[in-house]
Amino acid sequence: MNRGEGGMETPDRYAKAERDILAAMGKPGKAWLAGAGFAAVLMLIGGVLWAYQIREGLGVAGYTHPVNWAVYITNFVFWVGIAHSGTLISAVLFLFRAKFRTSFNRAAEAMTVFALMVAGLFPIVHLGRSWVFYYLLPYPNQRQLWVNFRSPLIWDVFAVGTYFTVSLVFFYVGMIPDFAVAQRWKEGIRKKVYKVLSLGWKGTDRQWRHYAMLYLFLAAFATPLVASVHSVVSWDFAMSILPGWHTTIFAPYFVAGAIFSGTAMVITLVIPLRKALNLQEYVTDDHFESIAKIMLFTSLIVTYSYIVEFGLAWYGENPFETEAFRYRIAGNFRYLAWAMIFCNSLVPLTLFVRKLRRNMAYLLIVSLLVNVGMWLERFVIIVTSLAHDYDPYVWGTYSPTFVEVGISLGSFGMFFLLYLLFVKNLPVLSITEIKEHL
Amino acid sequence: MRALLERKGVLAAAIAAGGALVAVLSRWPSPGASGSLLLSLLFLIAVAEGCIAAAAAGEMVNARWVGSVRKELLSVVPLLLLAAFLLLLTIPFLDAYPWARHPGKWLRKDFFIGRNALFLLLAYATAMRFAASPPGAEEAKRRASWYLLVFVASQSLTAFDLVMSLEYPWISALLGGFFFVESLFAGFAASALFYLLVQGRPATAPEPGSRSDLSDLSVLMFGFSLMWAGLFFAQFLTIWYGNIPEEVGFIARRVSSSPLRELSVAALLLLFFIPFLVLLPTRAKSHPLAVSLAAVSVLSGVAIERYVFLAPAVRIFLPGLAIQLVCVLLLFAAAAHRNPGRS
Repeated sequence: MNRGEGGMETPDRYAKAERDILAAMGKPGKAWLAGAGFAAVLMLIGGVLWAYQIREGLGVAGYTHPVNWAVYITNFVFWVGIAHSGTLISAVLFLFRAKFRTSFNRAAEAMTVFALMVAGLFPIVHLGRSWVFYYLLPYPNQRQLWVNFRSPLIWDVFAVGTYFTVSLVFFYVGMIPDFAVAQRWKEGIRKKVYKVLSLGWKGTDRQWRHYAMLYLFLAAFATPLVASVHSVVSWDFAMSILPGWHTTIFAPYFVAGAIFSGTAMVITLVIPLRKALNLQEYVTDDHFESIAKIMLFTSLIVTYSYIVEFGLAWYGENPFETEAFRYRIAGNFRYLAWAMIFCNSLVPLTLFVRKLRRNMAYLLIVSLLVNVGMWLERFVIIVTSLAHDYDPYVWGTYSPTFVEVGISLGSFGMFFLLYLLFVKNLPVLSITEIKEHL
Repeated sequence: MRALLERKGVLAAAIAAGGALVAVLSRWPSPGASGSLLLSLLFLIAVAEGCIAAAAAGEMVNARWVGSVRKELLSVVPLLLLAAFLLLLTIPFLDAYPWARHPGKWLRKDFFIGRNALFLLLAYATAMRFAASPPGAEEAKRRASWYLLVFVASQSLTAFDLVMSLEYPWISALLGGFFFVESLFAGFAASALFYLLVQGRPATAPEPGSRSDLSDLSVLMFGFSLMWAGLFFAQFLTIWYGNIPEEVGFIARRVSSSPLRELSVAALLLLFFIPFLVLLPTRAKSHPLAVSLAAVSVLSGVAIERYVFLAPAVRIFLPGLAIQLVCVLLLFAAAAHRNPGRS
């Protein structure tokens, strides 16, 4: 019999890992109830305000000519970005055989699915007549209506729809062996549910072989898909002939930004999760150090993009581009633009210091700042270019109303509520992969 | 041959001789001689910096395959000095740049040559420091990261200055990123060729599902072919969809007349379709012939693509270019051949 650390026999260590990870799915404590309650209230406020907006019309949002894309589209891009990195982190780390993946893959995949659910709502919130959102869907109909395939918004429907499907399948397939474990440990109705979800998993060699092949296929498929989908989101902007938007670098810039913000969100979620569920043995400081390096790397790519964008606006001597970028850092939204640079480019540089990468409190603060910075980045890109385009006669400005702020907070409430429900109902770490590394 | 190259100073002499030949050809009494020098220089910078960047990237992530080709990849470091020398030879050619008659703050001859030479020398210095560090040590990782930072800056400058400013005021913000990704792609292709050159044909066929250094390199080439295609498409689509005359002209000049149209298609085939399709089957990833084909395709694609970038803006002396490119390739082979050992 093999003996590992602490002299514990292999089956005992496996059982301990199963017990420790499934313990998170026990009875909710006061902290969980408080968190879930708060998130639910935020979500409710968002829902009520959306209903108010539907009743009164889009006028209750702060949209003014020429700023007709603002906080809602910012939220859409922000949540899509968060969503994109989840599967990417999980799939890419799997393809690169990075062992620390086991600490983050489940959290990242869950984050993807929930963030996409939130993101998908915002184009609908943004519509004047939300109830006819299905016009965007390419289905045969008797009215001879057909979607405009030249519209980048239609590309979004396809891209996000495909991505949601693949991410959900990837998330679910990864959990099948864990459902089988969970059904062994649980009783009553939960046992029955996990049994159904495990699809008759027995852990035979044949099942493992098929599982490994499918998982590898999904990881290999998801990786380029992620890049393509966020490129499509970036083209919502880049395809328009607007100073500050129409630039070739937008696709890789948005993809890097998505991984950056998603990595930050994973850290934001997993640091408290590890503490609350006593998972220090499975999610170690070394693992956090590795993911902090990814955050630093993607921050450098994002910073490179900022430098190139500003640099080429100056280099090209195109008066419209130059003015758009001058307005971005010196106009009405300059404080937000500088905060964006501080959060996304300067603060992450401190992660070059190993000690800081391994300091959980510091890492949490950095990840929160990056989340704020990435939201601001999207806001600044969207609003400044619209507010200050070619013709000074139509220049304007924008400030969000309480409806937009409330719906935005509601989206955070929805995301965290879904996440807290996930923590109590599904294994937060991949049990089988953790056992592989014991 | 290897014994000769192992002798002290022989490689330096070979580089000097090769450099001299390239320099002489750039002064050939033919209208496109300087253009062919610029193209050879661009190819040299792309592959040499890419080889070192591949080793540095592998070092950073503890890639297993780096051990097999680290010495060969880092043996090309002196070629960066040659590149800096060749860059100085382009000074008389700078009048061909459209901004030369109306220089500005950024685009003026002295600053232009100065900054590009400086970054080539910085790349050389950081690459030397990286090459001198013991493999796998923390120091090597730190030095690798410094090299990669300089690599990104140097490749971006190459793209924006040497290539993009030939068509000033045409701009593409992605061109810098496109160049350093392509250079890294070329570096992985060269790594695969070095591996086959030095390690020879694997003695036994790998077991199904097993990993070899060659298959790891093939996976990287395969992945980078997709990434290259993604960047190419992002750049192309934004320009084509935007349909602004001053932007679209760049593409139109390259696809509306022969032979540039055929060469543009060839670059697309060589840099994406061939490596992607050849390396798609699992077994091909560890098959020496398939991997060689993909690697040669990528390196040829880089050369042809550079030609497509330059040809509408400058005249190129083709016989001179052919000899210069052969010189550059022989120097790569000589540098790698000098380090036959495994680390």
